[in-house]
Amino acid sequence: MDKISDYILKAGTIDRRWIFLIIGLAVLLPLFFPLGLPIRATNATQKVYDAVEALEENSKVLVSFEYGPSTKPEIHPMAIGLLRHLFTNGHKVFVTCLWPDGQFMADEALDEVAKEEFDLTYGEDYVILGFRPGNEAVVKGMVSNIRKLYTTDARGTLVDNIPLMKNINKVADFDFIFSASAGYPGTVEWVQYASDPTGVPLSTGTTSIMVNDIMPMVNSGQVKGILAGMPGAAEYEALIGTPGIGTSGMDAQSIAHLVIVLFIIFGNITYFIETQRSKKY
Amino acid sequence: MIGPWIAAFLTLAIFSYLYKDNPFYKVAEHLFVGISTGYWTSMFFWTQIQPNLFGRLWPATEYNSDLLWYKFYNLLGVFSSVFPDGGINKGHHMELLYLLPFALGIMMLLSVSSKLSWMARWGIAYTVGMAAGLRAYGFLNSNVLGQIKGSAFQIFNSDLPFFALASESIFNNFIILIGTITGLMYFYFSREHTGNFGKLSKLGIYFLMISFGASFGFAVMGRISLLIGRFVDLITYSGSAHNHATLWLLLAMILLLGYSAFTDKNNTSKDEPTIEK
Repeated sequence: MDKISDYILKAGTIDRRWIFLIIGLAVLLPLFFPLGLPIRATNATQKVYDAVEALEENSKVLVSFEYGPSTKPEIHPMAIGLLRHLFTNGHKVFVTCLWPDGQFMADEALDEVAKEEFDLTYGEDYVILGFRPGNEAVVKGMVSNIRKLYTTDARGTLVDNIPLMKNINKVADFDFIFSASAGYPGTVEWVQYASDPTGVPLSTGTTSIMVNDIMPMVNSGQVKGILAGMPGAAEYEALIGTPGIGTSGMDAQSIAHLVIVLFIIFGNITYFIETQRSKKY
Repeated sequence: MIGPWIAAFLTLAIFSYLYKDNPFYKVAEHLFVGISTGYWTSMFFWTQIQPNLFGRLWPATEYNSDLLWYKFYNLLGVFSSVFPDGGINKGHHMELLYLLPFALGIMMLLSVSSKLSWMARWGIAYTVGMAAGLRAYGFLNSNVLGQIKGSAFQIFNSDLPFFALASESIFNNFIILIGTITGLMYFYFSREHTGNFGKLSKLGIYFLMISFGASFGFAVMGRISLLIGRFVDLITYSGSAHNHATLWLLLAMILLLGYSAFTDKNNTSKDEPTIEK
């Protein structure tokens, strides 16, 4: 028994770079050899899907892109999944960005979905209003008067000349808001300054690290569901029946988690052995 | 064509830090900081300052070359991309009140001057005051009142099952009730945490610990997702369509880092003092 304990303690002192390598392999191998583990939608994801399904055809949906390349693997799959769902159901999409690099992400997502998959027309079926600096002040400004804040769209076209913008003057003119958010400013600001004061329903997709901050708002009904990181995106893809980037990463995610859990258990075992030995001697 | 090579190189350069700090990592880090700053500055200028500030001070709709105000504008016309001929056409009317935020903005930039840095306080004071006022309302409405409203539910709701793992149930309602009250008790510092009060506040700590554990779990999940994202890109760039960019760059980096480690080792062993018997 002592020999086994010695081996475990010795293994606990290995160079941390071996752990990096093991985690790397745990992520890399399932990407080459997918296992096809089942994906089941959680209540939070189902609520987002139900909120979109509940919209009448031709609803005006405001989608805000608040993420950049650094969080793209988590948020981009859910943004694409949501756009597919919205366009399939025949809704009109208005895009704003509270982050400067969100505009890149919006361009990329809409090129892929609106232009290539659905062959929709810019200015009639969707519009990218673009980025405005000012964080929550931008949200507050949109609640009172969008046209004062956005006189032109992201391409420099005057908003008055865009057919889709007809009768759109403030946030209350939209039927639904979706915030694809990776931090501040993001979901919290949309809840505080747009959804709560105006009553326009809001759903969100966030990075995993934000979920604990937003979940109380989901439970209280202030936010209609949440897509939680890459698993949230995969669940949403499963619900709309179009597997995408989120789904393909889930095997790697599950295996990596399993390895990390094993490391945590191993770390705890070495801790207990060490404390037992220190008591003994 | 060169884009995937740059993306693969920068990703591998950042990953190389896991081995140890090295010049590849330094290059990627400095590029990231420099490009981010340049991009943000450019974005802020072209999406806000030029259209929304200058566009309101010298709008095309009210352009009159005889006015002194627009004569001054025409002098600025040497920067023709910022101040185009005939005023700025961004759909605004003239609003000279915007000279005030313009002045405050310039005053904030004066913080670089030791003599005039005091002027920056005016701009900062305005920003802090405005942000505090704006956020106070939002927090009070959504985070305080909204959450109180959200936690005021009917515990014994006959429509709910007694127990459910993830969805609403009477049992879960009890957990929320106990967690909220004991969690708040832990943050009540006007009474010593002893006796029954101490036991309840200790229960609150356990709820907080579960919450921190969940946050840690989500943080790990997020980081793994980002790693998956980078690996997916690296796999894509390793294909023949991109001339196996990832593989060539990985090989070159391993060789250079290996050579560097080898020469470092030799230098270290030469520098080590010899022990004479």
